[in-house]
Amino acid sequence: MNSVDASEHYELGAIDLAPSLLTVVIDTNPHAWAALEDSLPLSKAVANILVFINAHLACNYANEVAVVASHSQKAAWLYPVPNSTSDREGDITMNANGAPAQMNKYRPFRVVEEQVTRRLKDLMDSTSSDDLKGNTSTMLAGALTLVLSHINRRTIAWAEEHGGASLEDAADSGAGSGANRYSASNDDERLQSRILIVSVSGSSDSAHQYIPVMNSIFACQRLQIPIDVCKLSGDAVFLQQACDATKGIYMALSEPRGLLQYLMMAFLPDQRSRRHLVLPTREDVDFRAACFCHRRVVNIGFVCSICLSIFCEAPPGGACLTCGTELDIGEYDVKPALMKRKKKKKKPANGTSAAGTPVSTPTPGP
Amino acid sequence: MAASTSRPLEYLEGLPGTTFNKLYQQPSTALAIFRRMLPDLAKCFVMALLYLKDPLPMADLELWVNAESRKQRDNAISILGRLHILQSKLSDEKVRTYVVTDPFATSLRQALTGSADTLSFGVLSNTPDEYKISIDFLDDYARRQWEAVLGYMVGTSAFEQRGPRDGASLSEGVKQLLQAGHLVELRGRSVDITKDGFGFVLQDVNTQVWHILILYVQTAEAIGMDSVEVLSFLFLLSSLELGRSYEKKHLTPDQVRTLSGLADFGIVYQESPEATQFYPTRLATTLTSDSSALSNPVTGSMGPAGQPGSSGSGFIIIETNYRLYAYTSSPLQISLISLFTNLKYRFPNLVTGKVTRQSVRRAIEMGITADQIISYLLTHAHPQMRKHNAGHSTSNTGGVPPSVLPPTVTDQIRLWQLERDRLRATAGFLFKDFTNFAEYQAPCQYAAEVGVLVWKSDRKRMFFVTRHEQVAAFLKNRK
Amino acid sequence: MADSDEEYVGDVTEDEDDFPVARNDRTRSGKRKQRGGAEWELSRTWETLVEGADGTISSTVEGLLEAGKRKRLLKDTTPLQRGIIRHVILILDLSQSMSEKDLRPTRYLLTLRYAQEFVREFFEQNPISQLGVLGLRDGLALRVSDMSGNPTEHLTAIQSLKIQDPKGLPSLQNGLEMARGALFHTPSHGTREVLVIFGSLLSSDPGDIHHTINTLIGDKVRVRIVGLAAQVAICRELCTRTNGGDETAYGVALNEQHFRELMMDVTTPPASYSQKQSASSLLMMGFPSRTVEARPSLCACHSKPSRGGYLCSRCGSKVCSLPAECPSCGLTLILSTHLARSYHHLFPLMNWAEVLWRQASRSSACFACGLSFPVVPPEDQWQVTETHAKGMSVSSRYECITCHNHFCIDCDLFAHEVVHNCPGCQSNSVGASHNESDMPDRMDTTV
Repeated sequence: MNSVDASEHYELGAIDLAPSLLTVVIDTNPHAWAALEDSLPLSKAVANILVFINAHLACNYANEVAVVASHSQKAAWLYPVPNSTSDREGDITMNANGAPAQMNKYRPFRVVEEQVTRRLKDLMDSTSSDDLKGNTSTMLAGALTLVLSHINRRTIAWAEEHGGASLEDAADSGAGSGANRYSASNDDERLQSRILIVSVSGSSDSAHQYIPVMNSIFACQRLQIPIDVCKLSGDAVFLQQACDATKGIYMALSEPRGLLQYLMMAFLPDQRSRRHLVLPTREDVDFRAACFCHRRVVNIGFVCSICLSIFCEAPPGGACLTCGTELDIGEYDVKPALMKRKKKKKKPANGTSAAGTPVSTPTPGP
Repeated sequence: MAASTSRPLEYLEGLPGTTFNKLYQQPSTALAIFRRMLPDLAKCFVMALLYLKDPLPMADLELWVNAESRKQRDNAISILGRLHILQSKLSDEKVRTYVVTDPFATSLRQALTGSADTLSFGVLSNTPDEYKISIDFLDDYARRQWEAVLGYMVGTSAFEQRGPRDGASLSEGVKQLLQAGHLVELRGRSVDITKDGFGFVLQDVNTQVWHILILYVQTAEAIGMDSVEVLSFLFLLSSLELGRSYEKKHLTPDQVRTLSGLADFGIVYQESPEATQFYPTRLATTLTSDSSALSNPVTGSMGPAGQPGSSGSGFIIIETNYRLYAYTSSPLQISLISLFTNLKYRFPNLVTGKVTRQSVRRAIEMGITADQIISYLLTHAHPQMRKHNAGHSTSNTGGVPPSVLPPTVTDQIRLWQLERDRLRATAGFLFKDFTNFAEYQAPCQYAAEVGVLVWKSDRKRMFFVTRHEQVAAFLKNRK
Repeated sequence: MADSDEEYVGDVTEDEDDFPVARNDRTRSGKRKQRGGAEWELSRTWETLVEGADGTISSTVEGLLEAGKRKRLLKDTTPLQRGIIRHVILILDLSQSMSEKDLRPTRYLLTLRYAQEFVREFFEQNPISQLGVLGLRDGLALRVSDMSGNPTEHLTAIQSLKIQDPKGLPSLQNGLEMARGALFHTPSHGTREVLVIFGSLLSSDPGDIHHTINTLIGDKVRVRIVGLAAQVAICRELCTRTNGGDETAYGVALNEQHFRELMMDVTTPPASYSQKQSASSLLMMGFPSRTVEARPSLCACHSKPSRGGYLCSRCGSKVCSLPAECPSCGLTLILSTHLARSYHHLFPLMNWAEVLWRQASRSSACFACGLSFPVVPPEDQWQVTETHAKGMSVSSRYECITCHNHFCIDCDLFAHEVVHNCPGCQSNSVGASHNESDMPDRMDTTV
């Protein structure tokens, strides 16, 4: 009886479910992969990731995928390859004349696989030993930025095609309203994007990219794009924080050989399905900061009020090492030397009011 | 999704287990069924279990799903069970476990990795064509054929004049199929559309194609073709690539016969029945897509005929004052709209009209339902309407989800239907005569969770469900 | 500061003569903002339309659209020293005049909605800052929520205003005095700011408001006002004088959209004017890690049982959310991610340059998203197409001046408004190291 009720129509609108866009950032840092050679060589990992990508494409006809390699000296597109339409055509005709064995594969799977492997090979071939010598890190910030640009482009294109969140209206909304434009409230009607980072490098390697990586993470948070991290070796503090901030999944694999099963079980469900699932969460996220002066991880640090640099101890001369501002540091530095026992009880109250943000003391009216 | 999947799903469920066994031998079939028939959560389950060596204990699976989503979980598992994809087994330690059944698991793994040598995804033709068949041509062909089919059903006079000129001729097979499916009736020489037929023409193209295909498979059985072969061929079609030609020689005779049948609908294209190769059209390649992926050139150009460049599929604008503007010159679409609208003016590329109580009642008397009208309006809503309402909804912070159509109009159409329609029949099963309340309550609650409960009366200890298998199994388990 | 008084007087007399200037010189954004509604009435959008070669105006319209997108971007990217640690009092006009319906649904409801958005965005942009909300009603100042760093408190407080009705007359002076009282105790390294949403054309004050203005200047409180009706002289004076002569702090909303823009502009940390205005200091902060306990325990901040929380790095008390001040030892507890959120204000991404056809042939597609650019026309047509709106690139390409890659307009917007990274610089170690070495240099210029 209830179903004849007119109130039912609200459910109708939800029928059109947007497809999801999976973007994979593969950390191809040769140093780190060399260390993993015994348990999971890169070639095998890529094969596993490709099966995973196929599984994602299999879930919905309109699902999309993008793959970026975060290499030691640059970040590069693996799929889709921008700016190479002619290249792609050649690719197809080549295959058409190729072996019929290719026909055992669903075509979209094949295209992704061929491009990824070919581009990855090109990337490896183009890496000279000079590039590797001085450089043990990975261009995570670049890869994330590229991926985000792609997601942005696809979201705009998708919205244009389907008349979802409108562009012109958004463009009219003013300068400060970036948030409105990018965090549309109707979640199910947007292209569902997410980022998976298959990471092997440690955190200390990428410390110099701290600010750009953090910028990308905040962008993801703002756009409600979860960042999932599948950590094969090393442990990266940023990435833990990234997952925590964007409500993604962080998993450090104890057994890298089981990569595919981990991928299939934990990382395949898209945002819609995740609502129904109990996700692996990481309970103790490392939020400690590294100081700018010695890269020590600190519990309590000193922060420059001008540029927000973190120091583990008051910088010598009272000048901030980053911005050079003369800082008023008297109270902290001299505290152990000057205080006497009696005063010590009073002083903390004084010291903290200068140290931190103020208490919300209710003040009388005019 | 629900609306468009239900029909093929119902048909497949009715097939015996051995048929599934045969069907799942083909990776393309496994892939297509996985993609098209399963809800999101079921896909997650299948993928998670696919590469597990050992069966997954039932309790673990339950732990994996949020407590609030039990209903979705049970629904997913029940669909998987009905499609013979997931099996529950008792393991050695007497734990109930789930495992993905074998031909399906193997085939799906093969589909994902491309390992087996089954030629399941078609064989590309290497012989170059003398004429280059472009995608535009295929889209045009598909559109013409499909519009001809619909036009034949609706009986647009303008269409029949146009038909031969466009070269879209309907074969006897098509006409027979439509009759067999009770979509049209022959009265003397004139063709009359049935109530089912009205429902059919108002659906979106994807659903229509599935409807026809299922009909085709059903009639194929009647004329002695192997339904498994036909079905797996359909699923194969859905995984082919648009704009490329495929070899026929690997197909079985039944499949070749199917091919020529489908060519009449515009689902595939072949130059002549004797040609050695065929082209799938967009109607075929989007078979396993959701309805949201349907803003493709076929549906797009169905509306404003002759403007294939226009993006998006929608051409109808309906305002809160029930006025309707349709940017189309296609006689088919105009006659469809006129089924439930009083048309006022007609311009070269625009017709305007008004949805009124009389016009909707007229439609309902013909057997069209309010839901069909609304879903028709929804699928063909102009991009401006989607844009406007989506933009509007972002500022509306209330709990009401955004709707493309004005709520006043959809509500009113439903209310007009309710004026006539006060009873609704649901086929199902009544459970009654429970000895005590507790015994009644548990299965009743279970039925509600599984989503099959239609009606219940605590006082009479009775409840009514749409399907009884699970409830029966539940009752059995309790004993 | 002292001279600002005279400047104000001069300005008002000039006002009338200024209008033609504002109309002709449309690109002087500084003027635009300060004039508020006036120049909008006089702008003649139709005059800028030029028929294209094909007799339609579509090309011009597209150009204008793109220029419009870009206009917002071309803000000043000189890395200014900014007040990252802010103390802001938001004063909402809750008087009679707010029940006007010129802004939909009413000024009152719209203001409350935008105020909530403002609170969210403010804490998004300034995680280590403090905010308080006051209201002006019945000639009194009304405390809506206390100074705190927790957005939810403010949001619920503002939400509860929705069921009340605007009433009486506003008193600007009372509001400012109460705000001054709330800001009086704040430490000197942070900013002291007041944002007033003012819908009335009058202020019913108990005393001399000029006196209040002088004390505000003395206490280094900066006042910004968003007017909803028309310009009010006293508001103008208030803003100009408390902001060291800067007139852009006063804006009058033209429409809902503009109102929102004006409010959201305030979420960007303000540039510091001089060393003496905000004494810089070194702050001691704790960076706690999150813990999850087997059994729920009470948190020190709200005395509510919870399992998860953060332990103060100095005294070990448990607080349930960050940023917060440790309730027992007073240490500021913060996540390093909170600090990182403000970095893009300190190290802004440089504006990208327009690319002329001459250099356009270097690229055929956007570096970041792969969108194809229009093909470079033959040389003799370059001149024809180069008469577009300002700020827009003729070739639809925009070049990062560091890595010299070309980007499309959408990526330009996205990079500057959302990610604050240049995809090109970050994707190439050469560019990145360049960029990195750049940063200290850029910082130095500010000191």
